[in-house]
Amino acid sequence: MTRTRQAPMIRNVVLALGVLATGCGVEVGAGYPGGDYDVYPPDAFIATTAPVYFEGHAAYWYGNRWYYRDGNHWNHYDREPPALYQRRMQAPSARRAYEAPRGRAVGRPEARAPGRR
Amino acid sequence: MTSIARARKVWLVATVLFGLSAVVACGGSSANSPPAAAAVAPNPAEDDIAEGLMEHHRNHHHGGVTLFIAMSLDTLGVSPEQQAAVEKIRKELHAQMEPARTAEQSVTVALADGLAAGTIDTTKVDTALAQVSAAAATAHEASAAALNELHAALTPEQRGALVDKVEAHWAVWQKANAEETASDRPEGGHLSSLAKDLALTDAQVQQIRASLAEGMKAVPRLDPQEIAAHLHAFGEAFRGDTFDAKSLTTASGADAHIVARGTAQMAHFIETVSPVLTPEQRSELAARLREHSSHDPSASANP
Repeated sequence: MTRTRQAPMIRNVVLALGVLATGCGVEVGAGYPGGDYDVYPPDAFIATTAPVYFEGHAAYWYGNRWYYRDGNHWNHYDREPPALYQRRMQAPSARRAYEAPRGRAVGRPEARAPGRR
Repeated sequence: MTSIARARKVWLVATVLFGLSAVVACGGSSANSPPAAAAVAPNPAEDDIAEGLMEHHRNHHHGGVTLFIAMSLDTLGVSPEQQAAVEKIRKELHAQMEPARTAEQSVTVALADGLAAGTIDTTKVDTALAQVSAAAATAHEASAAALNELHAALTPEQRGALVDKVEAHWAVWQKANAEETASDRPEGGHLSSLAKDLALTDAQVQQIRASLAEGMKAVPRLDPQEIAAHLHAFGEAFRGDTFDAKSLTTASGADAHIVARGTAQMAHFIETVSPVLTPEQRSELAARLREHSSHDPSASANP
C-alpha cells in the first residue's frame, strides 16, 4: 500500500479515536478551563463546610458547581463528576454554625438539603 | 477484489466498528452522568452561617491561629476511622487554649458589668487584657504535641484542606475585626454589627464614629503581613510529609498578636460606644456580652 492510500484510513482511525476521547470527555470528564473564576467559595463558606475528597482534592459544592483548590487558585469541574454527583445526592455537605444571627448562641452543625449550598 | 481493495474494506469496517464502540461507550457513561447544573452565583450575605462565623470571630479571639486550627477540624470531613483520634486532638487543643479563653472571659464580664453599671472600670479591663495576651502567647507551645499528632493522623489532602480552612478563618477574622475609622466603614465590622443589633440611630452611629479614632488609639497594631508570613510557613510545613510544630518560630507571636488586637479592639470599642448608648441599649449589649462570655461554641463537640 502506498503512503497516499494509507492516509484516508489513518485519518478515519484518528477521527474515531477523537470521537471516543472527545465524546467521553464531554459527557463525564472533568474540564479544567483557564477562564475566569469570578464566583468561587467565599472564605466563610470554606471555613464552615465539610469538603468531599475526590481525586486528591478537597472539593466543595458551591453555587451549583464543585470547586477545589489548585495551588494558589480555585478551580472547578465544568461537568459534575458522577462520583461527586452521587455523593451529593447521598449526603449533603455538613456545615457548622457557630453563632446564630444577631448574636444568639448556637453550636451545632447544620446539614443542607441536596443541591443547596 | 484486489488486495488493495480488500485492505481498504477491512480498514473501513474497523473504522466504523471503532467509531460505534466510542459512541456506545460514551452513551453508557452518559446514562450515569448527572444532569448539567447551571452555575448560580450565591449571595454570601444571605448565608446565616457565614454571618454567625463573623459574629464568633468578633467576640472570641483566644488562641489566635491555634483557635483557627481547632475550628478547622470541625468541618474537615475525616473518615469514621479517624474521627475518635481527631476529636481527641481537637479537645486537647481547646484544653490548651483554656487559660486564654478564661482570661478573655474576664475581659468580657468586666465590660458587661461596666455597661450595666453605666461606668466601665478601664483599669480592670486593661489588667484583664494583659492577662489574655500573656495566656495566648503560650497556646502554640502548649499545643505543639497535639498539632504533631494531628499531622500524623491526617491524609495529605486533609492536611491541605486544613491549611485552606485556617487561611479562610484568618480572612474572616480580618473582615470581622476590620478597623473602623471615619472613612473606613467595613460592612462586617463591630459598628455595623452593633448598629443592627441595637437599632442605633443615625445620630448615634455618627457620634460613635467620631469618637472611634481617639477611643481606639490604645489598641495594639496588628501587622497582617506578619500573620500571613506565619500562615504561609505553617501551610508549607503542615502540607509536608514531616511536621514539627515546635519548629514554627513565628507561631507564638502570631497567636499573641491576633488575640491582643482582637480582644483590645473589642474592649476599647465597647468603652467608646458605652456613653452614646441609652440605658436600654447598654443593658442589651451587656446581656449579649455575658452570653458570649458564658459559651464557647467552637469548643463544643461535632456530631
